[in-house]
Amino acid sequence: MFGSSEEGARPARLDRDRGLVEAARRDPACFDALYRKYLAQVYSYAFYELRDHHAAEDATERVFMQALTGLPRFEERADSFIRAGGVGGAAVEIPVDASTFRVWLFRIARNVVANERRRDRRRPAAPLEHASGLAAADDTFESAAAREAGSAAWQAVARLPEDRRRAVVLRFVDEMSTAEIAEVLGRSEGAVRVLLHRALRSVAADLRERLS
Amino acid sequence: MLGGASRDARRTERYLDGLMEAEERGAAAAPMDLDLDPAVLLAARELRAGLVRVHPSFRFEEGLAARLAQTAGEARRARNEQAAPAAASSIAPFRAPGVAAAGDGVAAPAGLAVVGEGVAAPAGLAAMRDSFAAPAAPRRLSLAARPSRPLVVGGVGVASAAISIGAVYVAWRWSRASQSPMVRAVRAGRSGRTYASGHGRRAAVLHGILGVMP
Repeated sequence: MFGSSEEGARPARLDRDRGLVEAARRDPACFDALYRKYLAQVYSYAFYELRDHHAAEDATERVFMQALTGLPRFEERADSFIRAGGVGGAAVEIPVDASTFRVWLFRIARNVVANERRRDRRRPAAPLEHASGLAAADDTFESAAAREAGSAAWQAVARLPEDRRRAVVLRFVDEMSTAEIAEVLGRSEGAVRVLLHRALRSVAADLRERLS
Repeated sequence: MLGGASRDARRTERYLDGLMEAEERGAAAAPMDLDLDPAVLLAARELRAGLVRVHPSFRFEEGLAARLAQTAGEARRARNEQAAPAAASSIAPFRAPGVAAAGDGVAAPAGLAVVGEGVAAPAGLAAMRDSFAAPAAPRRLSLAARPSRPLVVGGVGVASAAISIGAVYVAWRWSRASQSPMVRAVRAGRSGRTYASGHGRRAAVLHGILGVMP
């Protein structure tokens, strides 16, 4: 059972991916189900962080390879995490539909992306909007407007400090809860809440400037 | 007591939870929170609409799936190879009387399958090992490779003969009259002949029990 949150203790819950993880541990060929389930999420995280399709693909491949080879050790780590009561001793709670596997997978992704950025620091990163900003031939007004809004949103997010941007991507793209983000980033829930709140204020100021 | 920043952050979190839940439900309108800064609400809605999840190309997805399957196969093979020696050493070959080996043109018993060199294993284990073994395992039970059970049988026979010979020798030694006077005296003493006539062995025993010296 995970530790109680600041709002009080809730009952223990099971990992929603427990069955898939157990099957993959019995037979590694069953890892394919977990791969298909989380491919887009991991790839999106890597893409928003690295801003390059090829780099994101490389990072995604490393993440899943590491997850596959490290899967036998996954439960042990989860148990030790549970006993420790959260990252760094901070009280952390997982929501109802939580997946400790997803948290574990994104911790791998965070490390892989960080290594990738360190390794390729000299390589200039192309802005994300350059990759997705080209209009298709059958582009409708709505999709073009949506793409424009997405581009503006991303430009605002891209200007955020690294930790705020990471929290925003995990929250809005990967749809993680505050507790899950806290585990992935190794922060307390309170710190993640404040990160997100400040990120939204920064984005709001950026959008206001853009509109004016 | 929560500070102002923490209180606002918690309110923002509740709003974001509501925003995502409304989207999951397919609700037309996003939730409102009048206590929150309208600019923050607008930014949250913009980010929710603009930051979309991207999917890699189909080619990359399938290529990575194939590489993962290959790695998974190698891991499974390695795991089975680790388990195989233990299984091979624990299963003894058994050949039912009257049933010839596979190489003799007679089928093996239904519950057994010939695996590797002269090792019979249950059919389930054999099928699992066959599925992961790269070359097909030879299905011929070599007579030369069979364990040397005749040696064990012969050893038992030799031991039995040695015990029999020893017993015959002891019987012969007891029945044979000795030429030595000392040996004859000892045997006479044991047989009770040193006692007076009429007492015999029974009297010697009674004397021994009562502690009476003759």
